[in-house]
Amino acid sequence: MDKTTLKLLGGWLLFGVIMCLLPLVVSTGTLRILIFAHFLAIFAMSWDILSGRTGYISFGHPFLIGIAGYTTAILSFRYGVPIYFSIPAAVAATMVGGTLFFVPALRIRGTYFALVTLAFMEILYQMTKVVAPKVTGGTRGISGIETIVTGAVPNYYLTFAAMFVIGLLLWLLVRTRIGIALSAIQMDEEAVKSAGLNTTKLKLFAFMVSAAVAGIGGAFYVHYLGSIAPRGIFEINFLFTILIAALIGGAGTIVGPIIGAYFLTMLLEFLRPVLPGMERYFLYGIVALVVYVYQPNGIHSLLASARRHLSVGKS
Amino acid sequence: MAEPLLEVRDLHKSFGGLHALRGLTFNIAAGETLGLIGPNGAGKTTVFNLIMNELKPTAGEIRFEGKNIARLATHARVKRGIARTYQVPKPFGEMSVAENIRVCMATDDLWKLISGRPDEAAERDIGQSVGFTDQQIGVQPSELSMGDLRRLEMARNIAVRPKLLLLDEVFAGLTLGEIAQISELLVEKKQKEGLTYIIVSHDLRALAPLVDRVLVLSFGALIAEGSFEEVINDEGVREAYLGQ
Ligand SMILES: Nc1ncnc2c1ncn2[C@@H]1O[C@H](COP(=O)(O)OP(=O)(O)OP(=O)(O)O)[C@@H](O)[C@H]1O
Ligand SMILES: [Mg+2]
Repeated sequence: MDKTTLKLLGGWLLFGVIMCLLPLVVSTGTLRILIFAHFLAIFAMSWDILSGRTGYISFGHPFLIGIAGYTTAILSFRYGVPIYFSIPAAVAATMVGGTLFFVPALRIRGTYFALVTLAFMEILYQMTKVVAPKVTGGTRGISGIETIVTGAVPNYYLTFAAMFVIGLLLWLLVRTRIGIALSAIQMDEEAVKSAGLNTTKLKLFAFMVSAAVAGIGGAFYVHYLGSIAPRGIFEINFLFTILIAALIGGAGTIVGPIIGAYFLTMLLEFLRPVLPGMERYFLYGIVALVVYVYQPNGIHSLLASARRHLSVGKS
Repeated sequence: MAEPLLEVRDLHKSFGGLHALRGLTFNIAAGETLGLIGPNGAGKTTVFNLIMNELKPTAGEIRFEGKNIARLATHARVKRGIARTYQVPKPFGEMSVAENIRVCMATDDLWKLISGRPDEAAERDIGQSVGFTDQQIGVQPSELSMGDLRRLEMARNIAVRPKLLLLDEVFAGLTLGEIAQISELLVEKKQKEGLTYIIVSHDLRALAPLVDRVLVLSFGALIAEGSFEEVINDEGVREAYLGQ
C-alpha cells in the first residue's frame, strides 16, 4: 500500500475510535438519529460506487433496497427462516435484481438510463401492493419482523460497524486500478473500449457491488425497523435523500457520501422543531443548490482543500 | 509472400443515403507503413472506425493475422493488437497523464486490477518516450497544448502494446518541431518493435518520409495506390484534391 493510503487509513482509524466512544457522551436519542445516518451512508455509498463512479445515474436504488428488505422480511416473518440465512439470501436476491438493472445499461446511458431505473422502482412498488398481498402485506406491509439486536446502543454499534466496514472496503476498492477504470467509463466509455478494456464486464462489476451493498443495507434496515411498507421504501423522498447525501458529500469519493449522510441527517434533525412536516424536504433542494454553487464537488472536496490550506499554513 | 497483417475486402459503409465507403480493398504487411490520404469527407476516419468496430460495416470483410475479426468487439480487437488515435484527441479529462496511460495499460482481468499495483515506472517510461517531462506526467489534459495532447494519444496507444497502429491526423495542429519529434518516435518504435502503421494525414510533407505506400480515397472509393511520388503525380489524385 502506498504512503498516502496508509496516512488516510489513520484517518479512518481515528474516525472509528471517535464513533465508538460516542455512546459514552451522547444521549440515546442522538444515537437513534445516527443509526439512520449509518443506513443513509450505506445506501449513498451503494449509489456512489455505481453512479458516482461510472456515471450511470440510478434513480432506482429503492428498487434494490426494496428487494433486499422484502426478501428477508418475507423469508423470516412468513416462513420462519432464521435471519442469518434470510439476510444473505436477501443480498443474493438484490444482486439478481442488480443484473436486471444492468440490462438497460448495455444499451442506454444518461437520462434514459436514469428514467428506466426509476421505472424499475415504480414497478416493484405497484407489485408489492397487488401481487400476492398475503405474502407482502400489500399496502400495509409487514410488521413485527425480528430484530437483530435491541436497544439504541447495540443498534448503534451494529449499524456503525456495517457502515464502517463497507465504507473502508469500498474506499480501498476505488483506490485500486479498478477504481480508475470505472471512473474512466464516466469520462469516455468509447475511449475505455479503445484502451482494450471490456466495459461490459467493468460495469457489471460496479452494478454487482452496488447491489450487494444496497442489499446489506436494505436487509439490516428492515431488521432494525422491524417493519417494511411499500410507501416507506419506494418513495421519492427516500430516493432524493440518498442522492442528495451522495451529491452534497461529494460523489465518486465514497467518503463523501458518508459525510453527506451525517450532515443531512443532523441538518434535518436540527430543523425538526422549526419545520416539523414534509417541508423539511424542501430544504434538500436548497442545500443541494447552495453546495453546488459554492463547491460542485461536495463537502468532501471543501474539507480536502481546507486541509491543504492548513498544511500549507503550517509549513 | 508472407500473409498480410491486415486484409480489408470490399468494405462498404452507408450512413442512411450517404455511401461513405464504396468497396474498399487493401492489404498491409507486417512492418509496413501505409499512408491513407484523401480530401475532407473521403472516408478515412470511417475506415478506422470500421477496423476498430466502433462502427459496423454495411458489407465487406476485415481479417487480422489471417482471421476474420467481424465478431470481435472493440476491446477484443485492441487485445489482439490493433489500436488507434483519434483525430480529435480523446483523453480522460479528469485524470493525470500518468493515469491516462494507466487505464490503457490495465488488464481485462478484474481480480488483477484489484490486487495488482500500477506499474508507475512503466507509465513514466511511456510518457517519456513520447516526450513528456516528469512534471507533465502529473498534470491533467486541460493543462496540455495540442501538441501535448497528440503526444498523449500516442502514449496511450503505445501503452496497449499494439502490432498495428492506426494514426488519425497525428500531425494536425503541431509545430514543425513537434512533427519531427512524433515522426522520430514512430520510426524508432517501428525499428525496435516492428510496429505497422496506417497513417491518415493532410500534411503530405510530414507523411512523405514515413510511408512505404499510399492509398488515396475520394468519396469513399480508392482512386490511386502506389509510392508517395506515384500517387501525388497522379492526374486523378490532383483533380480530387483541387476539385474539392
Ligand atoms: N457517424 C456518422 N454518421 C453519419 N455520417 C458520417 C458518420 N461518420 C462519417 N460520416 C460521413 O461519412 C463521410 C466520411 O467521413 P470521414 O470522417 O470518414 O471522412 P474523413 O476522410 O476522415 O474526413 P476528414 O479529412 O475531414 O477527417 C463524411 O461525409 C461524413 O460526414
Ligand atoms: Mg477524418
